[in-house]
Amino acid sequence: MANYKTKDVAAALAAATCSLLGSAPIAPVLAQEDPGWDFNTALLYYGESDSRVEDVSLNFLARRTFVDDRALTLSLAVDTLTGATPGGALPMNTVQTFTSPSGNATYDVAGGAVPLDNTFLDTRYALTAAWQQPLGRLYTGSAGIGFSKEYDYTHAGVNFNLSRDFNKRNTTVSAGIAFSSDELDPVGGAPIPLSSMLDVGDTSNKRGNDSKDVLDLLLGVTQVINQNLLLQLNYSYSDASGYLNDPYKFLSVVDGVTGDTITRTPVGSGASHEFRFESRPEQRTKHSLYAQAKAWLGGRVLDLSYRYMTDDWGIDSHTLEARFKMPFGERQYLEPHLRFYTQNEADFYQSSLVSGQPLPQFASSDYRLGKFDAVTAGIKYGWETASGNDLSFRLEYYQQDGKIPAGQIIGNQASRELYPGLSAVILGVSYRFGG
Amino acid sequence: MQRLTLILAALLALPACSSLGVEPWERDVLAKEEMQLVTDPVEAGLDDHIYFSKEASSGGRGFGGGGCGCN
Repeated sequence: MANYKTKDVAAALAAATCSLLGSAPIAPVLAQEDPGWDFNTALLYYGESDSRVEDVSLNFLARRTFVDDRALTLSLAVDTLTGATPGGALPMNTVQTFTSPSGNATYDVAGGAVPLDNTFLDTRYALTAAWQQPLGRLYTGSAGIGFSKEYDYTHAGVNFNLSRDFNKRNTTVSAGIAFSSDELDPVGGAPIPLSSMLDVGDTSNKRGNDSKDVLDLLLGVTQVINQNLLLQLNYSYSDASGYLNDPYKFLSVVDGVTGDTITRTPVGSGASHEFRFESRPEQRTKHSLYAQAKAWLGGRVLDLSYRYMTDDWGIDSHTLEARFKMPFGERQYLEPHLRFYTQNEADFYQSSLVSGQPLPQFASSDYRLGKFDAVTAGIKYGWETASGNDLSFRLEYYQQDGKIPAGQIIGNQASRELYPGLSAVILGVSYRFGG
Repeated sequence: MQRLTLILAALLALPACSSLGVEPWERDVLAKEEMQLVTDPVEAGLDDHIYFSKEASSGGRGFGGGGCGCN
């Protein structure tokens, strides 16, 4: 009899254990992290050919994980930018003189060369902080703030995100909102859209500071397909309003027959030709669809993503990106990276303005609003220490090739190299370590 | 009609989502660091910053980037 009782107790205990296990919280996709600090540091060099923009960027990210999957993330970045950038004017066979953005000096561009503004110099500081924590059993919430400062630009932003797990945590639905408010204080003041580049000392075409606000919304679904495959699909909406011009970009005013830029005679020193500052709409709405797949292929990891973007400035773009992490030897890996990008031009993209014709409401010759394709090809080498720290080096090459729409090329312009193009080298060193 | 068929097919496929996925004890691979959607947030941020400065598009994976006078 006593024997039976013992058996009953054992069975009851087993049943209780099973039911406890059965109702225990299901592990999330990311295994619960051990409380403690993790650090991520990176040094990046970005250098464009032809002495154009160079950027040295120092980055530091610290993440403190607490019990119950709560986490605090802090980041700091310092960027030093130097070099020359295309101002938007067309090349000529003769020397062209430009009034610098400050309005206090001029710079010359040789005949045949794409006009670059070499007064470009800046240091940027950026700080972010974010807090993430579970809200109940199935929800996770996060809130973040960001701040950055450049010589002529200040950014402040907040963001919130909420996600919920479904289906044994195989499906995660998330929604986020971000708002930023940016202040521009361009060197020499923000030019009045479509106003002419004036002589040194004449600032009647400039006004003071300006601002823009950006609202972003993000909806995403992450789905575990099987033990080796994870998919994500995001829709995002972005609405920017305010001063959306680049205050340092302008267009050449050309003769409608010869295509040559109209000359002018400065009083004292100043621009040698007619240039007008760009004019963009004060509002822009963008929609993006983003899909990403992460696949485990017997120890190798394939990361594949695609993004489609469309906006009300008439720009559509497609981005396809792949990374393939291949481990080898003892805790080392190689990771090739390929990225293809293509965009068409904005409705108001114009390589020049034609003299004598009525001014359009909007016009920009900024190559970034033009039609172009870009390719990035790179490779990363990484080494993981026995304690799980990770040291990696990457080398990448980025190239843009664009075209000015055939209908916009006038007269003599056909014989000149009009599109600035871009090629750049990216070098990075990154070290991740736990505290 | 073709569009209707597509919508119907998509609707019929929806419940299939609940049969996708794995059991909690089958997550060993998915829990690995290299299987997270963003494995290196600093590198991802640097790349977003470069492309935001040089192209007309931004965002998608996360918020639209920005906070920079470069565009």
